Amino acid sequence: MKSYQGVVLTTPVSLGYARQSPHSAGWYVGSVLRELLKGSGLDKSDVDGLTVSSFSLGADSAVALTQQLGLCVRWLEEANVGGVSGVLALRRAARAVQCGEAEVVACIGGDGSAHRSFELMTAQFSNWSIDAAFPYGAAGPNGPFSLITRHYMDTFGARREDFARICLDQRYNANHYSPALLGHKTLSLEDYLGARPIAGPLHLFDCVMPCAGGEGFLVMSEDRARQLAIPGVRILAADECHNAHAEDPVQYRAGWTRYASDLYERAGIGTDDLDFLQTYDDYPVISMMQMEDLGFCAKGEAADFVQNTDMRFDHSGRGKVKLPHNTCGGQLSCGQAGAAAGFLAVTEALRQLTGRARRNQVPEARLGLVSGYGMINYDRGLCSAATILAGGDL
Amino acid sequence: MTAWDKMRKRLKLNRPSLRQRARPPGLRTAAGTRFSAANLPSKLKLQHCSHCGHVQYPPTELCGACLEDGLVFRDTDTGGRLLARSDLHHSLWEYFKRRLQEGPWSIASVQLDVGPTVLAHLGPGNLQSGDRVQLFSHSDASQSSVLIAVPEATDLESRQARREIVTALGLDAAAIRPGGA
Repeated sequence: MKSYQGVVLTTPVSLGYARQSPHSAGWYVGSVLRELLKGSGLDKSDVDGLTVSSFSLGADSAVALTQQLGLCVRWLEEANVGGVSGVLALRRAARAVQCGEAEVVACIGGDGSAHRSFELMTAQFSNWSIDAAFPYGAAGPNGPFSLITRHYMDTFGARREDFARICLDQRYNANHYSPALLGHKTLSLEDYLGARPIAGPLHLFDCVMPCAGGEGFLVMSEDRARQLAIPGVRILAADECHNAHAEDPVQYRAGWTRYASDLYERAGIGTDDLDFLQTYDDYPVISMMQMEDLGFCAKGEAADFVQNTDMRFDHSGRGKVKLPHNTCGGQLSCGQAGAAAGFLAVTEALRQLTGRARRNQVPEARLGLVSGYGMINYDRGLCSAATILAGGDL
Repeated sequence: MTAWDKMRKRLKLNRPSLRQRARPPGLRTAAGTRFSAANLPSKLKLQHCSHCGHVQYPPTELCGACLEDGLVFRDTDTGGRLLARSDLHHSLWEYFKRRLQEGPWSIASVQLDVGPTVLAHLGPGNLQSGDRVQLFSHSDASQSSVLIAVPEATDLESRQARREIVTALGLDAAAIRPGGA
């Protein structure tokens, strides 16, 4: 695969996280675009590429937004792939910039959160979900993921105390990231274990809180970023694979297994070189699955791995291995802003690698891995994507 | 749909339901409706591909293996193995919310001997991961066919035996709110 040389990601924006919001997805996408322009010093007319990810645009699509926002682009993409939206957007946009199809691409994820809109979206998420998943308890994603979690616990002996490690360290990180919706609350092991049951082994703090929010970043050439005097982040490697391991009766791995070693080879680094890891944490078991498939530990050993690993952003935990993980608290503490949740890990990684994170800055962060996962079409998440990003002077 | 219609619909969905009768989710796609119809007279009918023999679930229009347009509903072996069970304590749907007031609602994923993995309501017998099960279909209170997993030894031959299991689960009756409108 050709390298992503000469392209950078800049100007991470996260805004408007709210449990309920009177604003539409269009408001979120437009507001992110405004902040992207402010942050980069670019004019609207400089943006000639746009990719939008949203579940709640309703009758609108990405092209409708160009008219609403007064944007003329010659490269347009709409990637509605939930949790991999961010990584997919950066891959597509980077190639567009590399090939000269666009000079500046705005990559934006945004979703509103009208009261009970989550129920509506869940009830009609996909045809297979309508016919064969939702009628069985109408539990939304909690249904399939409780079965995946139960199967993982049965197969590999993971316990709730292991899942708690992910949730607790992420909450610590969120306590230092002010936009996180749950960042003002601490979470103890007693709180976690004593939480009310939701579905099978899943209890309250294993589940994300649906919310509204917008996320975005810009993709442009290194030269352009240098001219604008804004810090940029390079893509060392990126890959994706969808509907992998369809033969597994219950999901315990996903597409990362197909390209993880290739990803490190192309980036020329190993897992030990990474300063942080951002996974898609819709449920803690999914983060553990990513740690295994991306080579941080062997399959089935993530429970031990998280017990021995300090996943706090500032290395202040008790674990011997230091691997800051979901350094802004992830969705489990920030809230899950629809398709924007698939951007959260990318924007957070950009903040870390450009030294723009505030109280939750990972010391000397130079290399980070971002992983995405998503789209519960029926009984499992179909999408997987991952990218290795590098900070430093342009 | 006008903005006002949308808003009215949204407001209607916002209210805690005052309906006297709440029923399971009745929405199905065209393929799901055909699944319901095919299963009405039978113990279990799934789509079989008349070209390659692949057994397809959830229902679709093209065979997921050979992509031919040859899926037909045929009587299917009911045997399978329970992969995982989950006792739900929370639901997004009024019918289940009312049922949950009486205790958790159990669902399971089952791998059928003929191939597909299905989600199903879990019948009696405290089934656990790895247990052998039988799977049958029955119409619920929304007149849609749904799948129910029961212990392997259960006699499912008579229509009445199957109905009794469904009635015990409360699936074939609406969930009543006393004093509801």
